[in-house]
Amino acid sequence: MSPNTTRNRLFLVASLALVPLLVFAACKDDKKTPSATSTPQATSAPTSAGATPPDVSGVPELQDGKLTIGSDIAYAPMEFFQPGTETPDGLDVALANAIGEYLGIEIEFVNSGFDGLIAALNTNDFDAVMSAMTINPERQQEVDFVPYLNVGTGILVEAGNPNTIQGLEDLCGLTVAVQLGTIQETMVRTQSDACTDAIDVVTFDTNPLAVEDLKTAGSDANLADYPVAYLDAQESDGALEVLSTQLEPAPYGVALRKDSDELQAILEQALQALVSSGEYEQILADWDLESAALPRD
Amino acid sequence: MIANVLLEIRFDWGTVADYLFDPIIIRALRETMVIASLAMVVGIVLGTVLGVMRVSRNPVANVAAGLYVWFWRATPVVLQLLILYFGLRQVIENDLFRDNWTRWRAAVITFGLNEAAYMAEIVRAGIGSVEPGQMDAAKSLGMTQLQALRRVILPQALRIMVPPTGNEFIAMLKNTSVAFAIGVVELLNAAKIQSARNFKIMELYTVAAFWYLVVVSAFSLLQAELERMLAAGERERPETLLSRAMSVMGGSRGI
Repeated sequence: MSPNTTRNRLFLVASLALVPLLVFAACKDDKKTPSATSTPQATSAPTSAGATPPDVSGVPELQDGKLTIGSDIAYAPMEFFQPGTETPDGLDVALANAIGEYLGIEIEFVNSGFDGLIAALNTNDFDAVMSAMTINPERQQEVDFVPYLNVGTGILVEAGNPNTIQGLEDLCGLTVAVQLGTIQETMVRTQSDACTDAIDVVTFDTNPLAVEDLKTAGSDANLADYPVAYLDAQESDGALEVLSTQLEPAPYGVALRKDSDELQAILEQALQALVSSGEYEQILADWDLESAALPRD
Repeated sequence: MIANVLLEIRFDWGTVADYLFDPIIIRALRETMVIASLAMVVGIVLGTVLGVMRVSRNPVANVAAGLYVWFWRATPVVLQLLILYFGLRQVIENDLFRDNWTRWRAAVITFGLNEAAYMAEIVRAGIGSVEPGQMDAAKSLGMTQLQALRRVILPQALRIMVPPTGNEFIAMLKNTSVAFAIGVVELLNAAKIQSARNFKIMELYTVAAFWYLVVVSAFSLLQAELERMLAAGERERPETLLSRAMSVMGGSRGI
C-alpha cells in the first residue's frame, strides 16, 4: 500500500469518527433546553396571594431577580422531572413557584445529589435547598431552616409483607435499602445498633435505586418519606405496599445559609401569605398531601 | 486577599486522624482490594483466552472475541453493573438465582468481564510483538509447539504484557468505586457515607485519597520489581527504587 492510500484511509476513518459529533451539533440547534429552569407563569403582579408583596431589594440573594434552589430531583411526588422532559415538578416545585410568584422573582431549580446538597448550599452553588429535607439538629448546625411541611417516614415492603414488619424493631436481621444521607439512613443505622441481629443497611445515591433494589428482592424494605413511599407503592402495580404507620413525623424545611437572615425573613413572610390566602392548602391538595400541612399556630 | 482566603480555611485534621484507621474505612479498603484482585484474576484468565482467539486463524473464534471486546469496551462499566445486577434480577424472577446473584458477586463478575476485554487487547499485542519466525526456529531446534510457546514466545510476550496489565490493575483499584451504584460499599463510598452524616467532606475524601495513594504506590513498587525480574535476559534492565537503593547501600557501581 502506498503512503498516499494510507493517508486517504486515515482521513476516511477520521471523518467517520466525526459523524456523531455533527449529528449532535445539529440536534442542539432545534431544541433549546434551558435545563432545569422553570419560570412562574406571571413573574410580575402577585395574584391570589393578596396584600402587597414585600420589598425584596434588601435581600442580597435576590438582587438578580432570581432564587436558585438546589434539589435532588428524583423523589416523586416531592420533586421529579416531568416524564420525558427536564422540567421539574412536584409539591416542592409548586410551592417554590408560588413563593416566586408572590415575591415577583424567578425560581430556578438545580438538580444535585441529596448527600451533597448542604455542602453545595454553603459553597454558594445555590441560595436555598428545597428537597424534602427534614429538619434535624445535625443539619441545623450547618444551615438554617424555614419549615413548610410535616411528614413522617413510610416503610415500603413487598406486597403481602412477607417479613411481617410492623415497625423499626422488626427490621433487625433484614436488609434495608435507603438513600444516602437521609434521615431514614440515620434511623435505620440507629435501630441496627439496638438490634441483636444487625440490619444490613444498603445505601444508594438516589431513592429510586433503593426502591429498585427492593423490587428485585435485593433488600426486604425501603424507608423513605411517607408521601414518596406511598406513591412508589401506588405505581408498583401491586408489587409493593407501604405500611400504614408513619414513623417520627417531622417538619420539612427550606434550607438556607446561616447568614441568609433577610432571605429567611422574606421566605417566612411569603409562606405565611400563601397560608393566609389558602394557596398553600390548595397546593397540598393538588398533591393529595393535605394531611402534611404544618400545624397552624 | 490571599491571606484572607488562607485564614478562612476550615480543615479539621482531627477528623482525618479519627477516620484514618477507623474499622469502617479499613474494612472498605480491604473490600476494594479483594474485589479488584478477584476481578483481575477473572479478567486475566478470560482475557488470555480471548486474546488467543483474537490472533487465531479460526474466523468464528476471531469474530466472537472481537464482538466481545467491542461490547465491553463500548459501554460504560457502571451501565454494565446496572444491567448485570438490577437488570438481570428484574428479568429473572427465580429465587435461587436472586439468592445467589448478590451485589458483591455481580460486582466482581462485571468488573472481571469488563477487564477481560482490555486484557484481550493486551494479550493480542503481546503475542503479536514476537516475530512469527521464532516459532519456526524453535521447532527446527526440536521443540514441540508447547515447549516453544513456554520457552521462547511467552517470556518475550510477557515482558510486553506486564506493564499495561499493571496499569489495568491500578485503574481497577480506583474504578471499583462505581460499584456503589448497586449498593456495594468500598473505600471511596465508605468515606462518602461517613461524610454524609457529619458533613466533613474534605476530611473524609482526604482519608480515602491517602489510602488510594498508599495502595497504588505499594503496588507500583511491586510492579517495577516484577518488570525488572522479567527483563533478566535484557542488556539494559530497568532500574527500580529497590535496585537503586541496593546499589547505593551496597556501594557497588550499579548495574
